[in-house]
Amino acid sequence: MIYLRLFLSFMKIGFCSFGGMTMIPVINDEVLRYGWMTPSEVLDIVAVAEMTPGSLGINCATFVGLRTAGILGAAFASLGVMMPSLTLSLLAAHFIMHMKGNKYLESAMRGVRPASLGMLVAAGVTLSLSTFWPEGLLSWNTLSFGTLFGGVSWNLVLIAVISGVILLKFKLSIPKTILIAAVLGLVLA
Amino acid sequence: MEKNKRLWTIFITMAKIGLFTFGGGWSIIAQVQSEFVEKRGWMTDEQIVDFMSLAKSFPGIMIINMSVFSGYAMAGIPGAVVSAFGLSLPALAAIAVVTYFYSALRDNVYVAKVLAGVRSVVIPIIISACVKMWDTAVKWKSSWIILAVSFLICALTGFSKLLLVIIALMAGLLIWRGRIEDDLS
Repeated sequence: MIYLRLFLSFMKIGFCSFGGMTMIPVINDEVLRYGWMTPSEVLDIVAVAEMTPGSLGINCATFVGLRTAGILGAAFASLGVMMPSLTLSLLAAHFIMHMKGNKYLESAMRGVRPASLGMLVAAGVTLSLSTFWPEGLLSWNTLSFGTLFGGVSWNLVLIAVISGVILLKFKLSIPKTILIAAVLGLVLA
Repeated sequence: MEKNKRLWTIFITMAKIGLFTFGGGWSIIAQVQSEFVEKRGWMTDEQIVDFMSLAKSFPGIMIINMSVFSGYAMAGIPGAVVSAFGLSLPALAAIAVVTYFYSALRDNVYVAKVLAGVRSVVIPIIISACVKMWDTAVKWKSSWIILAVSFLICALTGFSKLLLVIIALMAGLLIWRGRIEDDLS
């Protein structure tokens, strides 16, 4: 029963990973084991995931499901990879909403909120470095000031600044800003 | 009837958000905030901040976790389910198309340029989310310390997000100990 196997495999991938690139080793194990994909196809799917909206996990599940068992396969694999969210997160959401107003929960959440923000700021910084300055570490090692910022993709920085102004100053919606950035990419990147 | 209408709105809005979630998924935070806090008032800034780190630290896919938390807060279990399916629908459709044209798209220079533009805009989107969340997340002196420690840990190490959230939970419990009326730092 290919549908059940796809569902279970991707459920395992979901439970054993924490999203994004941490999924790749687990995905590798599962899809290579059943011969669903070749190692180079796994690399391709990472590239495909970059091109499409949504997460690597869902994209990968859809891709493998579609390949092995058509649309229904894609649906079962995607449902599998969504299982941790539909169980663990759902339980946690239930718990939080029903303890609303509890003073100990509120105390604990006061500790979590700044930690959340710290995570988001860190994600912004890390993503900025990898987007704008992919050779950052490399030029850091050579430690010569002239080459230090040589690897910065200033055209991408410019796109980010322009779209940032559009988003924050002119309050355009996020989808519209993304579309403008895509056009800017065509012109500037 | 009113409830079904709300579920439908959640589904459609989440599908729209899913269509525009690129680059690691953090942009979902800003989108959920603008659609459901600013535009509709169905969620609060506090909920967004609360759910954000839980979504990231729980197993599975961060954006699907975030959609489940948000959907549940707005409309219970049905809300969570329609939210998760709405969010993943565009990805399913997009992947089918992209897979079909993959070899043509991979080597296309214009596709690469568009993607570079989209990757760059994710950063201002994350910054806008940080700006909007700031006052909700940082209210006391001790918040600053937790913020700084969390930032350093996430930026410089691969420390488990789950452990980080647990430590932050305990820090909150130790600092306030249920005395949430007192404005002690």
